[in-house]
Amino acid sequence: MKPLNPEFASQWITLLATGMLVVQLLMVVQRMLLTNIRLFALQSLMLAGIAVIIAFSHAHAAHVYWVAGLTLVGKVFFLPWLLSRQVRRIQMEHEIAPLLNASASMLLCGAFTLLGYIVARPFTSLARLGNNTLGVAVTLLLTGFFLMVNRRKALTQVLALLTVENGVMLAAVALTTYGMPLVVELGIFFDLMVAVMVLGLLVYRIRETFSSMDVSKLSQLKG
Amino acid sequence: MTPLVPILVVPTAAGLLCLLLHSRRAMALANGLAFTVTLGLSVWLLLAMRPGPQVVTECNEFFRADALSAWMALLISVVSLGSSIYAGRYFQRDLAAGAVTPGRVKEFYVLTPLFGAGMFLVVLANNLGVMWLALEATALSSVLLVALYNRSTSLEAAWKYVILGSLGLALALFGTVFTYAAAIDQQSAVELPSFNWSHLMSISGQLNPHMIKLAFVFVLVGYGTKAGLAPMHNWLPDAHSEAPSPTSAMLSGVSLKVALYALVRFHILTTASLGTSFSQTLLLVFGVTSMCVAAPFILVQSNLKRLLAYSSLEHVGLICAGIGLNSRITIFGALLHMGYHALAKPVLFFAAGNLHQTCHTLQLRRIGPGMARVLLLTAFCLGLAGVAAVGLPPFGLFFSEILVLSGGFAAGHLTATVLLLVAILASFCGLLYQFARILPGEPKVARRSVPAPLAGAPAMLLLLGALLVFSVWLPAPLLEVIRQATDIIGGAP
Repeated sequence: MKPLNPEFASQWITLLATGMLVVQLLMVVQRMLLTNIRLFALQSLMLAGIAVIIAFSHAHAAHVYWVAGLTLVGKVFFLPWLLSRQVRRIQMEHEIAPLLNASASMLLCGAFTLLGYIVARPFTSLARLGNNTLGVAVTLLLTGFFLMVNRRKALTQVLALLTVENGVMLAAVALTTYGMPLVVELGIFFDLMVAVMVLGLLVYRIRETFSSMDVSKLSQLKG
Repeated sequence: MTPLVPILVVPTAAGLLCLLLHSRRAMALANGLAFTVTLGLSVWLLLAMRPGPQVVTECNEFFRADALSAWMALLISVVSLGSSIYAGRYFQRDLAAGAVTPGRVKEFYVLTPLFGAGMFLVVLANNLGVMWLALEATALSSVLLVALYNRSTSLEAAWKYVILGSLGLALALFGTVFTYAAAIDQQSAVELPSFNWSHLMSISGQLNPHMIKLAFVFVLVGYGTKAGLAPMHNWLPDAHSEAPSPTSAMLSGVSLKVALYALVRFHILTTASLGTSFSQTLLLVFGVTSMCVAAPFILVQSNLKRLLAYSSLEHVGLICAGIGLNSRITIFGALLHMGYHALAKPVLFFAAGNLHQTCHTLQLRRIGPGMARVLLLTAFCLGLAGVAAVGLPPFGLFFSEILVLSGGFAAGHLTATVLLLVAILASFCGLLYQFARILPGEPKVARRSVPAPLAGAPAMLLLLGALLVFSVWLPAPLLEVIRQATDIIGGAP
């Protein structure tokens, strides 16, 4: 099979990375929990797509197929399934009002995007794949943090953490051409699975004890 | 034959074995045995560091131990052994009082060795990515330990811990990726370069300086969160006060320092690569900030275990600042301080656990005066370890603090060192005042007789004895290892 034209591959990667950013911004304004989970799955699918393109267009990047496959299995299918099952069981489909309303958060995220691109600018010549990937990665990180502060449902915070993770993985493929060594990639994958299970267990216990998933009720410890 | 793989395998195996066991006694025995074996192996590793600068590697350099790793491994095994000795009777009393269920106790015995194994992997891994994975593993295994009592407050503490910890670790991973990218840039992009710390050090001069700088900032904030440095320390007092006392001892005694160790590895790499004081200045700033943040909270604290947690924050700040001052004497002092603090802090947490079980509260006001009459041994250990923790002679923490301070003055960092001194004095007054509230005086009538006057004696006396012995006498191999570790950290300008 003939490797892809690098120019063409780079354009596809740019497009998919932009798609990830758009999905992230949609998550910021979307309050339905299930839709949020589906958006996360879509974002992960785009990440997997980027990994496939890299593996396909570089001769020595066969192990990136592994990354793509794990992302597909773990973040596109398994974790969204796990999280939406929990949402259905709890029968709690709406996020309560966030601290900042939709338009204000959108504006703030616009500022974050700008900041992300400014931080990434000195390094764009180093980001060999797609010229916006690093900017998007930093933006995903920042908006992920914002999402975490802005939302009060424990489950949404888990989701925000996962988008931060997506940002880091995007940075990994963008900056290093091939992603990290396979042992680290595998480790990160299993780590993430365990992390979500532990978080799920905690969410469950918090709900049993507080009969709510509202983390703003977790405020007894002070000083 | 080297002890690296066994150190990792033994606690992991013990943790998995406890999954199959049903008797609490057997599980406690498995834990204790495992950590006794790892202590032996750590001492072996320590002795293997002589003579001269030695590096032990295994599995094609996948595992690597130099003097710094050996020193950390020793601390991890000592604290883990101490808390597994204490845990047996502690949970027996908790079960009798109905504070925990047998299932939760089993959870403790399964997760604690895994927590320990994770910390060993952090200090023994050569690959920076694997080091990150191991730190994440320690966070995940300890978060359920923090939530063990399943009270609303402990769930809150666990949630804060896991969310802040995961965010921090995501940032650290970002920094780790940057470091890797800085290395790739210098190589032909055809083959994947090694991500080993030793390899990166060997090409440190060719790393992309901008990326290394940015990487260090991310890693500092990331691992700094896990190490509890201010202003990312919000989770620390909550997690350390809500966890069961044996876990608090491990979190405070070593887990913070293990995260600091990871940070220091990046500091060494950054300094070697840039040849400037960029990373050491940042470490100094964060260290001093942590100490200055901790001091007022110690002065006004009303909860015993939170008091101890803030005192840990202060000590970690001092260690971080000592490394940031970056002269041989301050680094030596900081490493020594790690060791002494690892011996003193668990004793304090064990004593706090006893008080908690006797008085059913951790509020200093409600524990009330006169604990020295009610729980003589506990009060004795709390008092002695408290005197050690505030840095009074004859305990080693006095010497290590003096080393850091005098080294700071000698290196000309006047402002920073004066700030350190002020913070040390403030927390000195704070801790002594707080202990004076509960130890001397006339006890409340209701507390004249207590069920377990000698609770936790073996663990507390063992660690306290070790602290006293090592305060006045450092064996030659130990001294040699700390010297070598000082060279490793302070090798570059």
